[in-house]
Amino acid sequence: MSRSFSRLVFLVTAIFFVLFFLWPISETLYGAFIGSDGKFTIDYIAEVFRNPLYVEGLWNSLQMGVWSTLLASLIAIPLAWMSDRFFFPGKSLLGALVLVPMIMPPFVGAIGVKQILGQQGALNALLVDIGLLDSTHPIDWLGEGRIWGVIILNALHLYPILYLNVLAALANVDPAMEEAAENLGCTGFRKFCRITLPLIMPGIFAGGTIVFIWSFTELGVPLMFDFTRVTSVQIFYGIKDIGANPFPFALVVVLLCATVLLYAGSKLLFARDSHAMMAKATSQGGPRQAGLAMGLVCSGAFGLVTFLAVLPHIGVILVAFSTDWYQTILPRGWTLSHFEAALGHSLTLPSIQNSLKYAGLATILDLILGVAIAYVVVRTRLAGRQILDAMAMLPLAVPGLVLAFGYLAMTQEGKPFAFLNPTIDPLIILVIAYSVRRLPYVVRSAAAGFQQTSVTLEEAAQNLGCPPLRTLRRITIPLIAANLLAGGLLAFSFAMLEVSDSLILAQKQQDFPITKAIYELYQLLGEGRFVASALGVWAMAFLAVTIIGTSLILGKKLGAIFRA
Amino acid sequence: MIAITIEKLVKKFGDTVALNGISLRIEPGELFFLLGPSGCGKTTLLRNIAGFYIPDEGRILFGDEDVTALPPHKRNTGMMFQSYALWPHMTVAKNVAFGLEERRVPQAEIRQRVQTALESVQMGPYAERKIAQLSGGQQQRVALARALVIRPRCVLLDEPLSNLDARLRLEMRSEIRRVCKENGLTAIYVTHDQKEALSISDRMAVLEGGRIAQIGTPEQVYRRPKTRVVADFIGETNFLNGKIQSLDGAKALVETNEGLFEGFLGDPEWMPSAGDSVLLSIRPESWSLCSAPALMNSVKGRIGESVYLGEVAQYQLQASAHDLKVFELNPHISARAQGQEFFALASVDDVVVLKP
Repeated sequence: MSRSFSRLVFLVTAIFFVLFFLWPISETLYGAFIGSDGKFTIDYIAEVFRNPLYVEGLWNSLQMGVWSTLLASLIAIPLAWMSDRFFFPGKSLLGALVLVPMIMPPFVGAIGVKQILGQQGALNALLVDIGLLDSTHPIDWLGEGRIWGVIILNALHLYPILYLNVLAALANVDPAMEEAAENLGCTGFRKFCRITLPLIMPGIFAGGTIVFIWSFTELGVPLMFDFTRVTSVQIFYGIKDIGANPFPFALVVVLLCATVLLYAGSKLLFARDSHAMMAKATSQGGPRQAGLAMGLVCSGAFGLVTFLAVLPHIGVILVAFSTDWYQTILPRGWTLSHFEAALGHSLTLPSIQNSLKYAGLATILDLILGVAIAYVVVRTRLAGRQILDAMAMLPLAVPGLVLAFGYLAMTQEGKPFAFLNPTIDPLIILVIAYSVRRLPYVVRSAAAGFQQTSVTLEEAAQNLGCPPLRTLRRITIPLIAANLLAGGLLAFSFAMLEVSDSLILAQKQQDFPITKAIYELYQLLGEGRFVASALGVWAMAFLAVTIIGTSLILGKKLGAIFRA
Repeated sequence: MIAITIEKLVKKFGDTVALNGISLRIEPGELFFLLGPSGCGKTTLLRNIAGFYIPDEGRILFGDEDVTALPPHKRNTGMMFQSYALWPHMTVAKNVAFGLEERRVPQAEIRQRVQTALESVQMGPYAERKIAQLSGGQQQRVALARALVIRPRCVLLDEPLSNLDARLRLEMRSEIRRVCKENGLTAIYVTHDQKEALSISDRMAVLEGGRIAQIGTPEQVYRRPKTRVVADFIGETNFLNGKIQSLDGAKALVETNEGLFEGFLGDPEWMPSAGDSVLLSIRPESWSLCSAPALMNSVKGRIGESVYLGEVAQYQLQASAHDLKVFELNPHISARAQGQEFFALASVDDVVVLKP
């Protein structure tokens, strides 16, 4: 493509990033560091660390992040190892199913977890039933602060990200490295710890960083658990008086610094130390057929993890169909009335429409930006293209909560972007918010497509008289369609179930997307959780239809979509 | 049919000078080869002609039209890529029709021209196949049809046979020449295979370090290489070091430690003087083995290793300071026992005097 066009693409994407990524962050920084007198101050940040309420919130956030990441690693690493080493019964299906929890909304799952692990929930009822528990002294599984419920849900939601990273890292390990260890007498678990684990550390860290950032700043799940002593929720409640209160700004900045430091740290640590990629594999590794026992262990582990991960959502489905569910293993009676109630509620239909509109537009924007950025990064030698690439990946390092807050801050009255203020019409700012956060997935999958497609295929078309832009349409796009579909689908699914942007930026009832509608329904007394669950089931069913439909069109297995 | 003129072309990649002032003229209807070791700039030159690179200096003319700044899709060249670059998401017919569609040719004519083009490369029955269902040789034919069906101003071939096996290569290279000549096309063919170039080219340019080392017909380049690199790259040869004793026009008398040699200067523009060090290039097949010495142009040596290939035998002749390669046609190898002494004779016409 011509140089001037590449430069134009570069310029447009760079401006987009400055306006809708750097600007909101800088507005937040401004609010946190500039006092009411217009002078620089660190008082607000210092106050955050002096106020015991905020310190407790930060401490809980940190625990949420650390434990969720550790728990997710404990699930993901053994699974990835099994998948890398063995063929076992049902591997392709189980390998695809194990990824499904990634697109299940954890914040809806919270309703199910409370139903199952709550003091009057299904697990305690089961234990009472089989005589292991006295019904007058139920066990408090979730802990007083309910933090464990949040951690379990986060881990069960996010382990697929780690699983995919570790799997890729394991595939990169030269089997000869392990053979050399065996040759020198180091085998089994010892070999795994001394050779394999160090070699895949970069992969574990890459996935772990994303999982940590995600769970460290998770908003939806703690909200559903009424777990308010955590920074993300404190920020959410602080938004109501955003004009007058500098502390939400300061809290956001503290979260941002922590995540950016972690992200940059892990990048630096492994940029210097990339031994895993040193040599090309010299011998053919690949999985081998597992014996009967090992095969059962593998299949069992995959099945169990998938079951546990979707259990909260099964709980949600049961809640949605139940007349009442209290102190029993299963609901006492069944009904369809909640679905009618959900559909009949004035929030529901508009919210589904809104979500489709926001997520659809955001996906289109992502695809346009993603293809453009990937093209410049892979196909041109433009100076600064690496900066563009790094920029497009940055939204992974910045929590959604931080960006959502930044968008709110930059559209306050008197600011240059006040015309986008979400209390007037959140459409534009929500679409932008949704798309910025999902851009990395689309850029990555488009870039992979460009890399796999030989540039001579494009040159051949130009040689035969096809101008560059038409070449992109007639040759390149059809060839990378599968990648774009995969990236777009992931972006769409995540956007449909987005929580922090939706809760923070959609402020009027008629603008609510599905997630905020579920949250609002859940707050209703009495029927609330049943109707919210019913809407959650609608949302999940809708998502399932989208994904299954696309995978049918693609003619590929479900798992292939998420590995692209 | 157009002539292609290249004037003082310079192309740099960072600090590397890939093309360093290339000038040449390709006549209308000529099958012209660009030849040279890898990294010599031959593919870079072809990609400049196709328009995928814009040169830093110099001009490219198609006939009288300056195309130097024209983007690739407006040059109307038909290029065949080393990897063929056939689009896997289209059928054979769709691939071939692509260039015609871009030229807004009416549908009926497209169908007819695609069919004719496919038949001319014996691929008529494969029109509806997917690219992945074709063998390497079939893909090569489709790529040729796709490049030719648009009736390009010139054909550009980038190592088109390098992915084929030896037999198919032989067959396809005469096929390419036939198709180019039948359509009267100006064609530029890049290869590092000297046999391809010698066998089917009208003229060739040997490139060396981004410059043209020599342009000429296959016979000119083979029999009168201008430089050591050309002599070494095209065919096999023996090099002997020597000093010029006397000069007579293009003829030089050269003293070597194997004896006195008379030969022709490889580069007619080169003006050495007596006493200059030179290099003699004598092809293995220009020697004849005799039992008696001659006044000039003969080397005494013993037969070393020998390889019998039926129509030809390759001997190693151990002379006083050199090991020479000597080829003998219709050989009697039993008469050339190892250790036996012979004199190898070369005619004046076969001795080329080069800059060392």
